[in-house]
Amino acid sequence: MIDFQFLLDYYNNLPSLIKLVWGLVGLLIIVIIDFLLYLKYLRSHLRDEEILSKKLFADYETNLINFLYAGNNEIKVSNEQQKIIDKMVFCVEDKFKRGIFISVLSKLKNEISGEMAIDINNLFLKTGLINYSLKKLNSRKWDEIASGIKELTQFEITNVYDDVSKLENHEKQEVRNEVQLYYVNLFQFKGLEFLNNLKSPISEWNQIQLLEILQKFDDQEITDISPWLKSENDSVVLFALKLAKIYNQFQSIDILLDLVSHKTKEIRVKSIEVLSYFQVKEAKSIIKSNFSERSIEEQISFFKMLLDVADSDDENFILENTNHHNFELKLIAFTLLKKLNSKKLQSIIQASQNIENEKIFNYLEVN
Amino acid sequence: MDSSTVKLILLIIHSLFFIYACSVILSYILLAIISAIESNQYMKRNSFVNYNEILSSTVAPSISIVAPAYNESLNIIENVRSLLSSHYVNYDVIIVNDGSKDNSLELLIKAYDLVKVDYLINEQIKTKPLRAGVFKSTNPAFEKLIVVDKENGGKADALNFGLNISNSQYCACIDVDCLLLEDSLQKMIKPFLEVTDVKVIASGGVIRIANACTIKEGKLLDINLPNKFIEIAQILEYLRSFLLGRMAWSRLNGLLVISGAFGIFEKKLAIEVGGYDTHTVGEDMEIIVRMRRHMEEKKVKYKVAYIPDPLCWTEAPDNYKILISQRNRWTRGTIETLRKHRKIGFNPKYNLLGMLSFPYWFFYERLAPIIEVVGILYFLILVALNNVKWDYVLAFFLLAYLFSIVFTLIAIFSEELTFHQYKKKGTGFKLVLVTLLEPFILHPVILYAAIKGNYDYYFNKKKKWGEMVRKGMSKT
Repeated sequence: MIDFQFLLDYYNNLPSLIKLVWGLVGLLIIVIIDFLLYLKYLRSHLRDEEILSKKLFADYETNLINFLYAGNNEIKVSNEQQKIIDKMVFCVEDKFKRGIFISVLSKLKNEISGEMAIDINNLFLKTGLINYSLKKLNSRKWDEIASGIKELTQFEITNVYDDVSKLENHEKQEVRNEVQLYYVNLFQFKGLEFLNNLKSPISEWNQIQLLEILQKFDDQEITDISPWLKSENDSVVLFALKLAKIYNQFQSIDILLDLVSHKTKEIRVKSIEVLSYFQVKEAKSIIKSNFSERSIEEQISFFKMLLDVADSDDENFILENTNHHNFELKLIAFTLLKKLNSKKLQSIIQASQNIENEKIFNYLEVN
Repeated sequence: MDSSTVKLILLIIHSLFFIYACSVILSYILLAIISAIESNQYMKRNSFVNYNEILSSTVAPSISIVAPAYNESLNIIENVRSLLSSHYVNYDVIIVNDGSKDNSLELLIKAYDLVKVDYLINEQIKTKPLRAGVFKSTNPAFEKLIVVDKENGGKADALNFGLNISNSQYCACIDVDCLLLEDSLQKMIKPFLEVTDVKVIASGGVIRIANACTIKEGKLLDINLPNKFIEIAQILEYLRSFLLGRMAWSRLNGLLVISGAFGIFEKKLAIEVGGYDTHTVGEDMEIIVRMRRHMEEKKVKYKVAYIPDPLCWTEAPDNYKILISQRNRWTRGTIETLRKHRKIGFNPKYNLLGMLSFPYWFFYERLAPIIEVVGILYFLILVALNNVKWDYVLAFFLLAYLFSIVFTLIAIFSEELTFHQYKKKGTGFKLVLVTLLEPFILHPVILYAAIKGNYDYYFNKKKKWGEMVRKGMSKT
């Protein structure tokens, strides 16, 4: 038998530090036992939850498909549909089931269109899910707010514009992103009006998302982008430059020509790229006037532009840059020279002793 | 020396060991807390992200996957297929055959209808020259594939060649034997695109162990826990390292390494700093430290991002010989990098990098095995001198052992509550069992490898990369 009195005496006579260590050992043993029990519970719980999720998902999906096909043109909601709605209203009261139900709705929404998609939006209203989403907008947790806006976007709830727009300048970028996606998804090009007064930057990620959403609409009539090209917010200008290119905004060329002298390098580079896309020859004289002072990125963009718009007047300028320190620019310069005056290029090739140039010449010979 | 002086010296030694051990435990506790906060935030941030829009976008940034290959004929066809199956639109795959002595190139030519092409390479980073040349496929299905055959120069040299040849804005440098999930690129590129207040210079991913997983035609079909102790123990090690350590350092913006097996860089910056260092075996850590140093010196606000999603799966060593060789190399890489950039350490000019990341890495990664061995030797001397209080030893030993178990269990919880990859019944028991045994079986091996790495670094300079014998992941 363990002599507990001996152990107790032994413990009491230990120095404080060793007492503390034994105390911690005891504590850690308790923690480990708790952890092991919790791990067992957690793993079983996660497995059960996954099985239940799959089952409920399949169940809800079947119900929803039945709902969609039980529609009757003569009456707004058939008896069969009403029964399904009642069942779902009961289900969505539970947070776990609500999450699954929304994911089923989202899945179906992505797979169908037309009348049925409208039916799904209506179901979102009739089952009362909208109330939960609206409630999320007032949450203290930013992720709940963002998820609420996402749901409202997904099920096209346009009449809560005022509630959503209040969050336009939310401190969290994720919430602002969702607000912007709401605007554009539901109000198309008109939804871009938020750009007029936007103070915070739009991330490149969100710009890409917005552009992709816009391109899905049948109506591709874009509103005037000039104010955005002149915005104080650099990210708005960059976004507008993308719009200008995608939607062929030739009427903005004058502003684009101004932008090649913008204070921000990225905007100057992107505007040269857009002007290059539009093949605007007027840009040549502006950029040439201070070419050497421009960044290497601008210089390369300009030379890429010359590939489309160069003419014999540019030959001397191109020739000057065949000795440029940047390989890419030099390659374009020689390519242009080959195009404009191949005899001149041949004479340079014959006189050249530069090994790096040799590689370019060999390449140009076969390409 | 009189006995009081000896006692004083012993007291100082004991105190130093004690303080070191306490600081290690404290740092682990802090890292676990920080990683829990960051994991929670990450899961929230990504719970409503739509990755689909970026897939079809023509304005999404271009990415080159650069994968060096050396004698990889066993798996290369499958591996390339896996790399070509990404859902991202704007990307290409550059396989750099680094002077392989086997028939990798011939296999690739045959499998992907490759033909030699004229390719003008801007050699911004000096590398070994081309051998057979640059190849592209005549089959439109493989139009994203570029195969480069060059003279052998090592992994870093091959990666540098990839950086030279790439025309993309970003380069994803990966090990060719890694299996990437289809949504890897869009998830890894997100940090570069979503941040507006700082410049993201690199993004690192989690590496998961694919041993025993079911893989078919370059796709991960089923995740299984291996049966071998050494493999499960490495899984636990990776969970601790990636889900606790790196997650926390990512939150602090103090990551010094992103795994060479899968990381994305802004190509322009990677070239600006001179690319990968060909003189180190820890090129993946070295380039990150150099990039960070460069940004600190330029006084530009920057971030090294980290994505904890299980996106990249690789084969881990399944025997101790290869494991020791791998860890030996990791140790030498760490020593080389810290030595090369020692100017950063404790230098307030480098902010968090100099005052926190670098010292942490130095004390708790670089010095840890040495201090541990010194501690063991000191303990043996005390035993020989019969100067050991065994009950105290037992108390401290139990404390260290139980703490290591708690820390590993936290890593398992982190995995269960986030990505929950090992779902099957019975795997929990196996993980717990290995958690209990790992400190006695795997840890001594890792310690031995680290000490051998130190020895080789100082006394066996010729030693380069160890050999990794691959069995192949194409199991169904």
